[in-house]
Amino acid sequence: MPEAPETLGAHEALLEVKGLSVRYDTAVLLNDVTLRVDAGETVGLVGPNGAGKTTLLRTVAGLVHWEREKKRGTRAGNIVIEGQVVFGGQRIDRLPPHGIARLGLVLVPERRRPFRELSVLDNLRAGAYLVRDPKEVTRALETVYGLFPILRERGGQLSGTLSGGEQQMLAIGRALMTRPRLLCIDEPSTGLSPRVRREVLAKIKDIGRTGITILLVEQDVSLAFALTTRNYILSHSRVVAEGTSEELMADERLRQRYLGVAGTA
Amino acid sequence: MLGNILVNALMNAGVYAMLAVGFSLMFGVARIINLAHTAFYMVAGYCIFYLVSTAGLPLPLAILISIVAVVVLAVVVYRLLIDPMREHETTVLILTIALALVLQEAMLLWFGGYFRSVPAATAGYATILGVRVSFQYLLTLGVLAGALVAVWLVLMKTKLGLAIRATAQDREIAEVMGMDESRTATLTVAIASALAGLAGAIVAPLYILEPRMWLNPLTIVLAIAVLGGLGSLKGSLFGAAIIALAESLVVFLVPQGAFLKGAFSLGIMILVLLIRPEGLFGVAFEEER
Amino acid sequence: MTVVRYLNWLWREFKGEILVLPGRSILFFGAVALLALPLVFRHPYALRILTMASIFAIFAASWDLISGVVGQLSLGHAIFFGTAAYTSALLNLNAGLPPVVTIPLGALAAVVAGLAVGIPCLRLKGQYLSLATLAFPIILAGLVMVFSSVTGGELGVSGVTRLAPTRLKEYYVAVVAAIVLILAVWKITDSKVGIIFHAIREDEVAARASGINTPLYKVLAFCLSGLFAGLAGGLYAHYMRIAGPSTLSVLTSFQPIIWVIFGGIATIYGAVVGVFVLFPLVEVLRVAPELRMLLYAASIVLVLRFMPEGLAPWVIDRLERKCPRCKEHNAFTRRACRVCGTALRVPQEKGVPSGG
Repeated sequence: MPEAPETLGAHEALLEVKGLSVRYDTAVLLNDVTLRVDAGETVGLVGPNGAGKTTLLRTVAGLVHWEREKKRGTRAGNIVIEGQVVFGGQRIDRLPPHGIARLGLVLVPERRRPFRELSVLDNLRAGAYLVRDPKEVTRALETVYGLFPILRERGGQLSGTLSGGEQQMLAIGRALMTRPRLLCIDEPSTGLSPRVRREVLAKIKDIGRTGITILLVEQDVSLAFALTTRNYILSHSRVVAEGTSEELMADERLRQRYLGVAGTA
Repeated sequence: MLGNILVNALMNAGVYAMLAVGFSLMFGVARIINLAHTAFYMVAGYCIFYLVSTAGLPLPLAILISIVAVVVLAVVVYRLLIDPMREHETTVLILTIALALVLQEAMLLWFGGYFRSVPAATAGYATILGVRVSFQYLLTLGVLAGALVAVWLVLMKTKLGLAIRATAQDREIAEVMGMDESRTATLTVAIASALAGLAGAIVAPLYILEPRMWLNPLTIVLAIAVLGGLGSLKGSLFGAAIIALAESLVVFLVPQGAFLKGAFSLGIMILVLLIRPEGLFGVAFEEER
Repeated sequence: MTVVRYLNWLWREFKGEILVLPGRSILFFGAVALLALPLVFRHPYALRILTMASIFAIFAASWDLISGVVGQLSLGHAIFFGTAAYTSALLNLNAGLPPVVTIPLGALAAVVAGLAVGIPCLRLKGQYLSLATLAFPIILAGLVMVFSSVTGGELGVSGVTRLAPTRLKEYYVAVVAAIVLILAVWKITDSKVGIIFHAIREDEVAARASGINTPLYKVLAFCLSGLFAGLAGGLYAHYMRIAGPSTLSVLTSFQPIIWVIFGGIATIYGAVVGVFVLFPLVEVLRVAPELRMLLYAASIVLVLRFMPEGLAPWVIDRLERKCPRCKEHNAFTRRACRVCGTALRVPQEKGVPSGG
């Protein structure tokens, strides 16, 4: 169960990233990034490959700090993080990922990363690790099955043998089991056929409607903009634009340069 | 002859499985190759010897104390020395080597270089498959099997077990799901050393104690871990069975086989490393893909 | 050149290359002290310790070459030591060859062992490579026991000819061999080949990509390492007058690891420091067994915790400084680099950030 159950009113910032910079050795991955996600919003993060979108999500989830702590003193250990990440009014940029998860911020990672050798059910149970009450776990399971009935069907199957779309649903379902306040989803449509993509993103929209705040990183801009209220465009490790889906799509220059879309979908 | 081979192999398989499972767990979860693992097995054996023969404690109590002692030692060393250096794989390897040597010296110091033995808990024999098998042997085998079943239950049915299995596959995502990776690793070290300690304590009456007894099992455990697949528990069990049987065959059927035991296991290990490094059931760590 | 001109040149070289750095000076005068010691002090036990330390220093340096410099961590270095020891001993006993012949031949056998280990290990990396190296000496040890009629089994091959007619001469053979051979190893690491070795350790993929034939150099490294370890093995066999299964044991493999990590890995001189500090220490403490183990453990643990680079680099760090521009070492007393003239920073107090 997430701690700090303070209810934030709508339009209060649930997540604030302030001046975040991340460097691995001499490579600058994030450069003075500032953004915010208000409670209840679905915010999009788009931009070309290599812009730093995944790094941003990883940093917010605590993985980059964790990596730095682990690798301290080794040859690969020159990782620098500057700036702040504030979640629910609390600074989280020095917390370990499991502490951040406990506060209600969960990552659905790039490439899905299910626990391949575990069954679908075990994956979901792993997501519920922080949930103490077994009844809560059952309830969460039912919610996830409601969203993704296929997961109930495939409960005993090894998650590594699922199709791409099914794995994506599993990854999202697993994250939902943690009862998150903020869901950070990293490129869910990668490697999926257009039909499955639409399915998955429709589900994400449904999840957003239940009140869970979502930060969505997506390559498929047209699909993303259909879901999101507000968006940030990231390019070459910087935020280059912010606005609603309509605003951004209307801007010819932005569209051509960063969004690679020749018109609305 | 066949009976002898099987009986011999079965006991060895049990001990090797106990050691290999723990070793594999530590590699899979904590990501360390602990070359001092069998040294803990040795320490437990000496503890039993001391507690039973010298201090005169009843056997069950002595076993419990030995296991606890080994677990405490392992966890303390792990937290203080190894955990801070876990990303320096080379340093960890060397630390565990140094630790093993220190433990060996300690045993040499306290108990001398003579061969020691521990009296058996039970007397009497049964005859199975035409082979005379002591009740001590059967009892030991039973305890070993029971311990392995217990480990299986913990891994499959408990939250800790789930955390262990998840961390073993992808420690980053395990963290993201709220599992404290450091704590999971420490608990894994505790479980692994408990298995090594239990093995050492109950097998002590059947084998001989001497300060270098950790070397042979170490090479065998390494061979099993590689054969079964570093980090795979199924692999450890299968590997233990295969190696124990192969060893038994070599000892009984090949002339001068006793000397070739270790060489044979390691030969297998090298072949596996060259042909199929992930072993029979090996798993690649997700975060390294 | 006349004698005087030559002596002048020698003196200038000495001042310019050795005296200029405290670290090198210490090593140089240490070597001189070793050579001069018997003139003042002839206690046989002390000589014995130093003789063995010299032989082991060669062995340790050979380990540092493959494991430290090239980064292929060898957990089974005894294979080279033992192969050479047995070869030398057997040639000596069965063919009556003198040490001056058997030792190089033994080393040659060790080079062959280097091929036998290096080639299969080309496909392995990291921990898997190390595990594989662990296996080779044990396999050979098993075979040694099986063919005990030839190898003497548990008891080994004994009755080997002395290294030299007197204890004193043996001492000098060992010390001179150590100085020459370890300098040779160091020269290798400081040469073009050495640069390639370092590159392989840093980033093998990148080295391969820039056109270096990494498999060739890795096998070369194993062979060179085997050569020097083999020379040590041969010397050992003739000094101890016996070659037994202990020369192939896991403990023999682990010893250089401890010595070199303690002294300073990938430096070569660290190997020397490690052996000459730890080996006499362990020997001397034989009289107080409890203390011995405690000290042994404590010194290893403390060094790894607080001087993770090793004892020698820690000392060097305090005596010398690296020029920020040309990377050359300078004595800590200097204000400007002796090679490029860049100003050297005055030592800062702790806590002042130095960037990154």
